[in-house]
Amino acid sequence: MTPTIPRPHTALLPTRRQTLIVTGVVLLLSWLLHAATRTPFVAVLGRIGFVATCLLMAYSCAGAVHPRWLPARTARLLAVVVMAPLASLMTAVLTQGTHVFTYLRSVETLTGHILMVVLALIFGLTMSMWAMRSERKERERADQLQAELEKNALERELLDARLRLLQAQIEPHFLFNTLANVEALVAAGSPNAGPVLRHLIAYLRAAMPRLQDESPTLATELQLVGAYLELMRMRMPDRLQYTVAELPALAGLRFPPMALLTLVENAVRHGIDPSMSGGRVEIGGGRDAVSGKITLWVSDTGVGIAETAQPGTGLANVRTRLHAFYGADAHLDLHEQSPHGVRVELHFYPENRQ
Amino acid sequence: MTSTTALIVDDEPLLRERLRSHLGQLWPELQIVGDARNGPETLELFEQLRPDIVFLDIHMPGLNGIETARALGRRTHLVFVTAYEQYALQAFEQGAIDYLVKPIDSARLADTVQRLRVRKQSGAMLDAVLDQLAGRFAQSAVPRQWLQWIKASVGNSVRLIPVDQVLFFRAEEKYTLVAWSEGEALIRKSIRELSEELDPKCFVQTHRAVIANLRHVREVIRGVNETAELHLRNHAEVLPVSRNYLHHFRQM
Repeated sequence: MTPTIPRPHTALLPTRRQTLIVTGVVLLLSWLLHAATRTPFVAVLGRIGFVATCLLMAYSCAGAVHPRWLPARTARLLAVVVMAPLASLMTAVLTQGTHVFTYLRSVETLTGHILMVVLALIFGLTMSMWAMRSERKERERADQLQAELEKNALERELLDARLRLLQAQIEPHFLFNTLANVEALVAAGSPNAGPVLRHLIAYLRAAMPRLQDESPTLATELQLVGAYLELMRMRMPDRLQYTVAELPALAGLRFPPMALLTLVENAVRHGIDPSMSGGRVEIGGGRDAVSGKITLWVSDTGVGIAETAQPGTGLANVRTRLHAFYGADAHLDLHEQSPHGVRVELHFYPENRQ
Repeated sequence: MTSTTALIVDDEPLLRERLRSHLGQLWPELQIVGDARNGPETLELFEQLRPDIVFLDIHMPGLNGIETARALGRRTHLVFVTAYEQYALQAFEQGAIDYLVKPIDSARLADTVQRLRVRKQSGAMLDAVLDQLAGRFAQSAVPRQWLQWIKASVGNSVRLIPVDQVLFFRAEEKYTLVAWSEGEALIRKSIRELSEELDPKCFVQTHRAVIANLRHVREVIRGVNETAELHLRNHAEVLPVSRNYLHHFRQM
């Protein structure tokens, strides 16, 4: 599971960082105005602080609760534009009380008031733009980091899949049971001993762990699957039938080694083997003439999958390697067969391979 | 005195034949009265033939060897046969129970035959060993089995969707919509049934009509009035979290 990178929040209240920056600007501006106009510092700070707080809250709230048809960016700027004169007017009302109309009628104080609105607008809008820009950058950085994490996770998954493939391919239980059968044929002097031994050798050669497969093709994979099924049919002749399609048109297709085998082994182990009457395994496929899409499938008429059956690592492994081979639009899906059994389908475009 | 009788049980015919011929050489007087391919057949033949010895493969379809052994109990002398089960071998060794390993080695079989001839009763600890094996083999001992596959009709096929891939379930009138990484489908199971059958470690009900898979949630965004929205990875759908279910996300 990929961890999630925290993204910039959209809460009602401003962040600590935003509050600190606004406080700094308010203090600086108040001091400058106090120095320029000789108004007492506390009076200037009170007014500017009040307006700035209103603007900051307007900016922050508009981001959190703007209507769906209005983008957050526009909502924030609009809130600041509306709030600037409103907050300034409120300071006048608060400081002058009932004298507010006489106060605003005087040219000198009106000029001061307008100056405050203009300052509020300029600072409010500039700082809003700046904040939104840094927020956007932060969001982009978070997204980028998230994408990188996901890519890393995918690469790690693929590596895991390859390692697991190297570790546990030939199951000892399978190997010893098959050898017991070969020994039985040899002891009985059966003419089948030779061919069966050759199938086992073909299977072992293909399934032996190795780091680099030179040119894995669908043809070699189908041979491997054939060798495996032949061995299993020798072991359970009354319970297993199978057909493997030849697919000459796809023989040269580059194909992730052991992918079909894993599906066929699953079909035998979890479908046919638990069934007393056994069943049939079929492997087939084809290329869509129009789209070029390739479909391969493995179906069985075994016992099927219980809804609570723990999925093994095999399927996930095949899925991961299929993606690595043919790109993200390759997929593996499972279907229930009627009356019972499972059909696994692989769908992919061969030209998408990486 | 009647001769000793035996039953051979293995799902692989060549191996049954091989054991029969092995025993024929090493113990010609032994009468092999029958062979069986699976658990139920074994029990049926046992009732008919009452053999003194049963050679029993522990890996079989139907009723597996361990369950079959339990059903046979002490009414016969059991010799277990296995290809490769390290822990089973250890259990047999500790419980002093006769066993053979495939491919069967003649010398080893000769030893076993020697002991069987004098009918030295082995397996004093049979029940304990069977319990131990059952614990290792079958995962059915797990206290609770959560739903792992969703069966959904898509076109004229029934898809089997691993629950890991499911993003969310949402009630849609009489059906439930299941959305997974590769598509959407309608199923008959209700949200209520699903909420009981799915593993609560991954699946959380977020709304009267919605169950989300936490593994696919990218972020949780608080809304007003004690609600929230779930944004998913690689999916545009935004899922509602209603007030009654918000407690699942308090610590996130």
